[in-house]
Amino acid sequence: MRDLLKAEWQRYRTWVLLYALAHLLVLAFFMRIADLGQQPLNVRRLFGAGYLVTGLLLGLHQMGTWRRPNQWLNLLHRPVAPRRIALALFAAGGLALLVAVVLPLFLAVAWQAFGSARIVDLRHVLLPIGAEWVALCAYFVGVYGMLADRHYSASALVLLLWIVLARASGPAALAVQAVATAIAFAMAMVAFRPDLGAPPRSVLATCLVAVPLQVAVYTLILVAGFVVEMGWIMLGTHPGNMPVPPAGGVTEIVRLSPRDRMLAGLKDATSPEAPLWREQVALSEVRTLERAVAPTTHRQDMSNGSPMAFDDSDARIQWTFSHDRMRYEGTSVVTGLHVGELGVGANDAPFPAVATPAPNLGHPEKSDTIIVAGNTLYRYIASTKRIVPRLALPAGEHLLTTSAIGGSVAVLGDRALYFYDSRHLLNGDMPAPRQRLAIPGHNGDLGTIEVVELVDGYLISFAFTAQAHDMRGASPFQSVWRVDDQGHTTLVATRTLMADYPPVYRYRAWWPSPAIHALREASVGLFATDDPQDDNDTPPIPSSVRTLAFMLMGASFLVGLWLASRRTMSVRTRLAWAFVCGIVGVPAVACLWLMLPAAEPEPGPRTEPAHA
Amino acid sequence: MNDDPVIRTVGLCKRYGGKLAIDHLDLEIARGSIHAIVGANGAGKSTLFRILLGFLPASSGEAFILGRDCRSLTPADRERIGFVNEEHTLPGWMSVDAVTAMQRRQYRHWNQDAFDETIGHYNVIGTQKVSQLSRGERAGFNLALTLAQQPELLVFDEPTLGLDVVAKRAFLETLLYSNATRNCTVVYCSHQMEEIERVADNLIIMERGALRNMSPPDDFRSRVAHWVADIPFRGPDLRLVPGLLEAQRLDGLYHYLVLDQGEAFADFLHACGARDIHHLPVSLDRAVNGFLAKHHATPRAA
Repeated sequence: MRDLLKAEWQRYRTWVLLYALAHLLVLAFFMRIADLGQQPLNVRRLFGAGYLVTGLLLGLHQMGTWRRPNQWLNLLHRPVAPRRIALALFAAGGLALLVAVVLPLFLAVAWQAFGSARIVDLRHVLLPIGAEWVALCAYFVGVYGMLADRHYSASALVLLLWIVLARASGPAALAVQAVATAIAFAMAMVAFRPDLGAPPRSVLATCLVAVPLQVAVYTLILVAGFVVEMGWIMLGTHPGNMPVPPAGGVTEIVRLSPRDRMLAGLKDATSPEAPLWREQVALSEVRTLERAVAPTTHRQDMSNGSPMAFDDSDARIQWTFSHDRMRYEGTSVVTGLHVGELGVGANDAPFPAVATPAPNLGHPEKSDTIIVAGNTLYRYIASTKRIVPRLALPAGEHLLTTSAIGGSVAVLGDRALYFYDSRHLLNGDMPAPRQRLAIPGHNGDLGTIEVVELVDGYLISFAFTAQAHDMRGASPFQSVWRVDDQGHTTLVATRTLMADYPPVYRYRAWWPSPAIHALREASVGLFATDDPQDDNDTPPIPSSVRTLAFMLMGASFLVGLWLASRRTMSVRTRLAWAFVCGIVGVPAVACLWLMLPAAEPEPGPRTEPAHA
Repeated sequence: MNDDPVIRTVGLCKRYGGKLAIDHLDLEIARGSIHAIVGANGAGKSTLFRILLGFLPASSGEAFILGRDCRSLTPADRERIGFVNEEHTLPGWMSVDAVTAMQRRQYRHWNQDAFDETIGHYNVIGTQKVSQLSRGERAGFNLALTLAQQPELLVFDEPTLGLDVVAKRAFLETLLYSNATRNCTVVYCSHQMEEIERVADNLIIMERGALRNMSPPDDFRSRVAHWVADIPFRGPDLRLVPGLLEAQRLDGLYHYLVLDQGEAFADFLHACGARDIHHLPVSLDRAVNGFLAKHHATPRAA
């Protein structure tokens, strides 16, 4: 085995070293022009895509050259078990990726840590490991793509899709990548056999081939749905694309201006003050609070969902948040040297959660910065170089966004909307909120919030439209509330909105296969921390969609039974396949059809030539 | 050493789509001596080897090699079987010494003397990369590696394909005079009849995936006769010529290549009006070609 590993490493050695050198040069270049440790998700994705393609191409090339009939025979026809040969080749592939991908990354991290004043946290040290997992997983996907039956060899790509879509972040993301890599490795081991392309024999091997294949078929169904949607758009009848959207629907409310949206919410208001409010809305400034698009940042997240640094332009210092220290580390913009550490209060205590700079709230000092961490809003006071808490939401609540409205500051938590007196806020009194209005729905469904300042309070419109096109989202509605100066809240009007999209569209991810949809949800959320922004009031599945799904499952059971009867297998296996087709639906039927070839007709009697 | 056949197939079939590549093959190859397998392209020879080595599942039937089911060959079984194909596929990026060292460590019964004896026939330097070897040198190196493994069964699948005359001769002589082949059974597949004639003790002819002949080459050759007849008028209807493999009219004389026809064929020709008849011996090449050409697909107009 060691000989084969050595031989295979020798085969790729020169190219791997050249790749590693080029990789190092690219990293060195980018490190000169930016801090690679503080890049947003899209930059990480770009690098990740590079490593993914590298691994994939290596796997495809390595096995593509071995799998030619005579090469394959020469490789495997030797007194070494195929699994040991596979391990040797895979180890060589892994070693190549380690040298080409991980080593330059570790060198880059080491330079950041010991050759610069930039922040290096645990999450940065973990980055090369994540890169290795991604590249290795892609490598095994490439191996499988080359060795498995060509009818379904591309199915392993779903593992890469899983890594891309997984919600887990930080070390948890590494765990997901490790699981995906382990599965890809097991699939590659199943495919690595003398008789390439033959159906798997054991139950475990069958599952390792069948489950990703079924998920791949399910993904293709979703892609087909997307293609149909493109056609729908071209026809000009797609609600999101119609010149005039359906009246009273989600699309219409989303397209309206904030003022018109508020007025639309007041349309059915029956309060005696409603006509006055409509007049006031028409004349006043309508402020919009939008939910943050980026997910909540967790400690040791690999990439920055939000910026982690802010500048003190007077002192020429850039303060960058350290996930390890949970404090800001200062670097002089002039000298590039480390100039100190900044925590909360006089004793520089660590932040209770990851801190991110927030929008300016109109404070007088231009170098002052508002910072949000968990449920608390802080203010960086440039003159004293101190960070002090300014307000705190109740424990357990997440502060999502803030907006200055007149003399107040509106603060949106994941449970309620608060109004604070901005004067107290600036003075550092840790004031209690003047008004609190519980969000009349689930935070994940919240589209926009409109606020109009009244003489004696506020008029607030909540549009719950964020996920109305999807099965996760609540049935869309708009709710308008009034909050007076004493903090009393009154429901002014609630308006049910049309979903615009038919159920068959909104539940397009569910009815093709409820079982795989459940698997998808579980796998995408594996090891992920709950994000308060993903809290939806998911309604029950309509009976029409359930009926459709059950009909498909029943038809799949019958087709599966028929397909199984045309394949060489025991009665027990046949029934098991039919049962799986019934449970999983169309993807399992396609899987059975692709994975197991139909039984060949019994060869007829041999025809003897006349001379024999 | 037992008397079990080294290769045994029972009703072996392999279907590619609608085509039968191996057609109910019942084959038993006895232990010892050199067995040659010949057949036209597409006769199923390579498919048979791939099934026998466990690299292709059969559609039906059974196949055994050295007494083991082909579907469950262990590394120890593979150690007993040497295989050389026409491409002489070896890792081109490695040096001759490195490949040799790797093989030496993998094969428990490695015979360095056999390796040295065989490689000595070729101008191969240990530090050379395999990719730098000529095709003939690569074939010789591959042969040396295979013989040094001391297999019980040696399978050659058209090993001299693409070699020039000199390299071909060197390969064959190395194989024939090597001490390493004394105790092993050789299955030699080739289209080169002069090679078969030189090396084979037993001739196996396959056609369209089925076994058509298994006998010593001379026995097969004696079954095929070439008759030349001077028939002044029209020759007999070809459909009525018994055992006909091939018929030609050259310089006014009728040439018939026939299978399994004794002296009675002369009586048949006399009965057809032949005045003068000659019976000529045929080479193995001519005999096999005539035998295989009989059912070879030809254009409809031919």
